[in-house]
Amino acid sequence: MSDRRKIVLMLVPALIVLGGLFLGGLGIGLARSLNWMPVIGLTEPNLDAYRAVLTDPDFLWSFALSFHIAFTSTLLSLVIAIAAALMIRRTGRGGALVRFLFQLNLTVPHLVGAIGILYLFSQSGSFARLGYQVGLIDRPADFPALVFDPAAIGIILQYVWKEVPFIGVILLAQMQTIGADYESAARSLGATRWQAFRHVLLPMILPGALAASIIVFAFAFGAYEIPALLGQNHPAALPVLAWRSYTDVDLAARPQAMAMAMVIAAMSLVLILAYLRAARGRIGGRR
Amino acid sequence: MTRVTLDRLTKHFAGADGASVRDLTLEFPCGELTALLGPSGCGKTTTMKMIAGLIRPCSGEVRFDGRSVLHQPPEVRGAVMVFQNGLLFPFLSVAENVGFGLRMRGTPRAEIAARVEAMLDRVRLPGIGPRRVQDLSGGQQQRVALARALVTEPRVLLLDEPLSNLDAHLRSEMRDLIRDLQRETGITTILVTHDQEEAVVLADRIALMFDGELRQFAPAAEFYARPRDRQVAEFFGGANFVPGRAAAGVFDCALGRLPLPAGAPEGTGCLTVRPENILLAEPGDAGALAVTVIDRVFLGTQTRLVVLAGDLTLVLIRPPAEAARLSPGDAAAIRLPPEAVWVLPERP
Amino acid sequence: MTAALRNLSLALLIVWLVLPLLPLAVWSVAKSWFFPDLLPSVWSLDGWAHVASPRSGVLAALWETTLIAGLVTALAILIGLPAARALGMHRFRGKAGVEMLILAPILVPGLAYALGLHSVFIGLGLTNSRAGVVIVHLIPTLPYMILVLAGVFANLSPDMEAQARSLGASPLRVFRHVTLPAIRPGLIVGATFAFLVSWSQYVLTLLIGGGRVETLPLLLFSYATSGRNDLTGAIGMIYILPGVLILLFASRHLTGQGAGLGGVRP
Repeated sequence: MSDRRKIVLMLVPALIVLGGLFLGGLGIGLARSLNWMPVIGLTEPNLDAYRAVLTDPDFLWSFALSFHIAFTSTLLSLVIAIAAALMIRRTGRGGALVRFLFQLNLTVPHLVGAIGILYLFSQSGSFARLGYQVGLIDRPADFPALVFDPAAIGIILQYVWKEVPFIGVILLAQMQTIGADYESAARSLGATRWQAFRHVLLPMILPGALAASIIVFAFAFGAYEIPALLGQNHPAALPVLAWRSYTDVDLAARPQAMAMAMVIAAMSLVLILAYLRAARGRIGGRR
Repeated sequence: MTRVTLDRLTKHFAGADGASVRDLTLEFPCGELTALLGPSGCGKTTTMKMIAGLIRPCSGEVRFDGRSVLHQPPEVRGAVMVFQNGLLFPFLSVAENVGFGLRMRGTPRAEIAARVEAMLDRVRLPGIGPRRVQDLSGGQQQRVALARALVTEPRVLLLDEPLSNLDAHLRSEMRDLIRDLQRETGITTILVTHDQEEAVVLADRIALMFDGELRQFAPAAEFYARPRDRQVAEFFGGANFVPGRAAAGVFDCALGRLPLPAGAPEGTGCLTVRPENILLAEPGDAGALAVTVIDRVFLGTQTRLVVLAGDLTLVLIRPPAEAARLSPGDAAAIRLPPEAVWVLPERP
Repeated sequence: MTAALRNLSLALLIVWLVLPLLPLAVWSVAKSWFFPDLLPSVWSLDGWAHVASPRSGVLAALWETTLIAGLVTALAILIGLPAARALGMHRFRGKAGVEMLILAPILVPGLAYALGLHSVFIGLGLTNSRAGVVIVHLIPTLPYMILVLAGVFANLSPDMEAQARSLGASPLRVFRHVTLPAIRPGLIVGATFAFLVSWSQYVLTLLIGGGRVETLPLLLFSYATSGRNDLTGAIGMIYILPGVLILLFASRHLTGQGAGLGGVRP
């Protein structure tokens, strides 16, 4: 058997799953969003669903909300993760415990974190009770709405909770690979501690940090269960809106649901390209 | 020019973070190039990082011109370290790397550009500024790293194994460059190396360390002629250790009573004589020892002879022409010139 | 930053990371816990008793979730191993495209491709079935398996297998006695990722399983929205258990201080 054929055979099962199912799913979604379904006689693709969706204020609100959720969560997670990694990398005694606790929620599903946030921050949650006990509020309604709220604070809290360790662990691994010598060299050449971070360590960890941030953004933009649990009803996050349209009793809404799925996919495509750029910028070779 | 003094400098590490240093007292003279020499793990890089301010000692002092610098963070200390491999910042161009220290100090752009260019000329890499550091050869990277340190006009220059990753040809070129630049600038320079040859060629003086402690601090020639103990002698390629006892200018051992040079230590210990200092003699010469040749190996420019004197094995290195007439099994005679032997007292 | 300030911020961060799990743990052993009590007024193991009874469906869901994650992991190994080998050890035309295809499902949300797949799965009779759920779970899990194993294969010298062949081992024995031991650590990490990613899926299971395939997250979601907080707490504790155990095991056995789990995204 030639090498070529062997390689093809090795790849085929994976390509069936990822090419067939994944790309297939996207392709069918695209076809249905264009009202193009030859099987049932729809042979004239059109942009009706997109026209309907893109002129619908609900959709625009949802898009803006999801973008806000993803952007704010990612930015906060990144900044906190960098600070956390800088603190944790130097922990000597007790470092193993700190590292374990820092990583604890890496394996905890988002849904569990979301329920935890709900129990902590709802108007009858732990923090509201604490506020009552110290005399800050008199009744649950006095507690600020942090879940089911228009600014999506609860959702963002959940993502930050979950993603700080995710980005942080990646940064810690990077810092371990880079070592302390580059910063030492900078310090020795006259850089202050801050300058050594700003001008040497940060540029070196930035590509990895960006790649991790892109993954976080993509997830926060497209995940369904967190906004479904912690979000307000109207406007809902884009994935929730898409789900509602898809499960609507009115089957005419389905192409519109598909169009929204395609908007989410298009956003991911932009992010994939950005990710590949960031990953290529990673420091390789020389150490 | 700065005089660097270490006073009972001590550093212990808990884990495997670095090699410890104990009670190191040492003065690096003004404007000289001194080598900190020792096998890996002896604490020489730790010592250098303490001088640079990158590691805080557990106890002891580091003084520049008699004033303690321990309270100064590395960026104001003026002791610039050039790391092994150069450690150029991969995301900056060559010129940006060289100008890094000046930029951190807030030097105006135009001045940085001019000084960087002048410095690249001095390390014999003119016009290389816009290149990416990834595109440089190992030797070029090392020279850029040297330029990056020198452009800041440091009080003390610290070089960590600057030649160890270069091949033989680049090594001698870099060696000459370091020597020339050090002499031109007169910057007090400390070179860390595990290679005794590198230390001998470059340094005015050598501080030899073993296991975190200073063993001998002297000009290079001393390490060959008067090593302090057997470990020092072996580190400098010494061989031929004959146990015995020195008293009143004479060494009493299995080879007989051998005269010693003035100033040799007394008491029990080893007599040492470097292989290249043992001479071939005619049987019957005054002071000649009868030996049997047991091995002869041609080394190119030299020939190595192994001879048996009584039950002692001695190694000689002689010019090939001299050694050619001797074959394994032959009887021969050797002479140990009194000025070429030295006594290594037993370490307490 | 002074050391005291640093330690304080680190302590706050760690507390914040553990905090959301606490109310779930407390609720699992609470009966009534009304505003404004900081702790439950009546403690009880009712939640756990309910979990253990067949009526709640928790044990069945636990089995279903485990079975699906196990099947998905096994299939991901079978499918991912050869692909990872091709990517890690060979160069071929179109490799960049294949790599991009493998990376893509990590960044594309499940909903984006699942809505389209759903309509096809209906036609194939794969909706509302365990088989359909297992198949759709392969999409987000396979990339992790392939990326981890491709990295392992890239560091594996093909000469090692050639050496074993020249010493008289058949291809099968080479795989069994040389290749497999060499890739075992990567295989364990990849399998862990795959298991946890499948274990955490919500929307793919909901859509393709159509509510008939009831896994723990589906049950957890419905109890959380119906106000059964004691049951929610107990299920939550069960649901996070495999991940925490794996993390404990990893932090003890991986010298990289658990960095092996750095890429996992349940």
